[in-house]
Amino acid sequence: MRFVAIFKAVTKNWLRSRTGLFFSIMFPIMMLVIFGSIFGGSNYVPTMTAAFIMTNGIIGLTSTNTEFKRRGIIRRLSITPLTKMDWVVGCVLSQTLLNLLLTGIMIGIGWIAFSVRVIPDPLTVLMIFLGSVLFSGIGMALSGSLKDVEAAAAVGNVISYPMMFLSGVFVPLSIMPSTLQLLSKFIPLTYFSDGLKAAIITKSTGTTLYDMGIVAALAVVFIAAGVLLTRWKEK
Amino acid sequence: MLEVQVQDLVKQYADTTAVDGISFSVNNGEVFAFLGPNGAGKTTTVEILECLRSFTKGSVLVCGYDITKDKDVEEIKKNIGVLPQDFNALDKLTVKENIELIADMYDKHLKVADMIKLLNLEDKANARFENLSGGLKQRVGIAAALVSDPKLVFLDEPTTGLDPKARRDVWDVLANLKKIGKTVFLTTHYMEEAQVLATRIAIVNKGKIAAMGSPQELIDEYGGLKILVIRKADESLAKKLGDKFEHVTMNSNGDIHIKIDNTDKLYSIMSLLTAMKAEKDIEIQTPTLEDVFLKITGSKISEEGEAK
Repeated sequence: MRFVAIFKAVTKNWLRSRTGLFFSIMFPIMMLVIFGSIFGGSNYVPTMTAAFIMTNGIIGLTSTNTEFKRRGIIRRLSITPLTKMDWVVGCVLSQTLLNLLLTGIMIGIGWIAFSVRVIPDPLTVLMIFLGSVLFSGIGMALSGSLKDVEAAAAVGNVISYPMMFLSGVFVPLSIMPSTLQLLSKFIPLTYFSDGLKAAIITKSTGTTLYDMGIVAALAVVFIAAGVLLTRWKEK
Repeated sequence: MLEVQVQDLVKQYADTTAVDGISFSVNNGEVFAFLGPNGAGKTTTVEILECLRSFTKGSVLVCGYDITKDKDVEEIKKNIGVLPQDFNALDKLTVKENIELIADMYDKHLKVADMIKLLNLEDKANARFENLSGGLKQRVGIAAALVSDPKLVFLDEPTTGLDPKARRDVWDVLANLKKIGKTVFLTTHYMEEAQVLATRIAIVNKGKIAAMGSPQELIDEYGGLKILVIRKADESLAKKLGDKFEHVTMNSNGDIHIKIDNTDKLYSIMSLLTAMKAEKDIEIQTPTLEDVFLKITGSKISEEGEAK
């Protein structure tokens, strides 16, 4: 149960960090309000939520953890009986809590600003959970393999931004050229964003379950990658 | 019982040999110090022992367990406490929360409140780690290293970068560990630290152990002779002494230095001075670890830990 202690510690750490909270919660709210005001909010509530859960994992978590690594915090923990699995699970669950909070706030903004009346059902919560695990898993895998904070920020951005555009978060896929539409099928965010839209806007359970299956499978793969790439020992 | 047994340990990197065939052991209950300049291989060795770093050749047992076996590594981790070089904790957590986090990693641990008390951190228990001074951060690190009640404690450069007051505070804590009989493996580039704290010292230079023994043994063997200094003397006294004794020199300050190779020589000089009613300020300089280090390696260590 060491992951519980890790969960508690890293959660307190981000809750008390103002810049961290700004980028993981305030920035998404700003983007939702801007895009929602220009194009109408209903689709942006789920797709922006999905997109920022993605960036929270791939950019946010990766930067936080490479910083932990640089400062020797991960090394300090690795000298204790803590297992890599407990470490990864604790971090991923903490990130998931952050993302559930973000989802709640995004839905709240949807209600207030764009009259998007959404009440999240258990399927939505499960979808958020799995998507969060998936992208936090990618974050853990990246921070396991990257050395410094600068590299983490660069790699995180290089992965996140194309993913955001190619999954139809900002621009609907239907207006994109067919090659980009085909490419979008290989982007994990496409399934998460689609599935979340299906769960809370269009209410099509079939689509949700299909997308959820893919997200769940990818989540398992990236959690495993996160555990495998985390290093407890140096050369 | 031996807590650490190292035989012919070698650590090679692509272009350098950081640890070049060292062997030593640490007995239960002793404070063993690795003393040497930066780049001597101290931290590399300690990190290998802590199962944090791979090695090229040799055999290492920690608390009787083999560091190359995964099952043994699990046991080692339960039995050691570590203050790593440049210790850091989670910035936004308090002192208490950070020690608790490390405590929670173990099935059994001491009370966090007791550790806070032991390290005199009561006033700072609820202060965030990011707001602590360097000396306080080190004390949090030592508390975290002790909270699992380890059989063996590694302290890697525990006072580097601290001001003299903070350094002395940390020494007080470490002296306490010595008193309660904890086995401690310490690395340092401060001579005084090794001299004050260690029961046994290995002088490490360029990846090798150059000499090993208790501080007194090292001084007796390598420190050279005691020196009797007579302050503000005059030429005639120097000449008189020089006629009767060997190794008499006078420096530009007017101080006479006489190397003392045996006790009788000291007594006869003293009685001569008494007979002459010389009434001079005298002092006996005993060799220190600094002299030992200079003699063995041909260099000194700067405050920052560089060999010069």
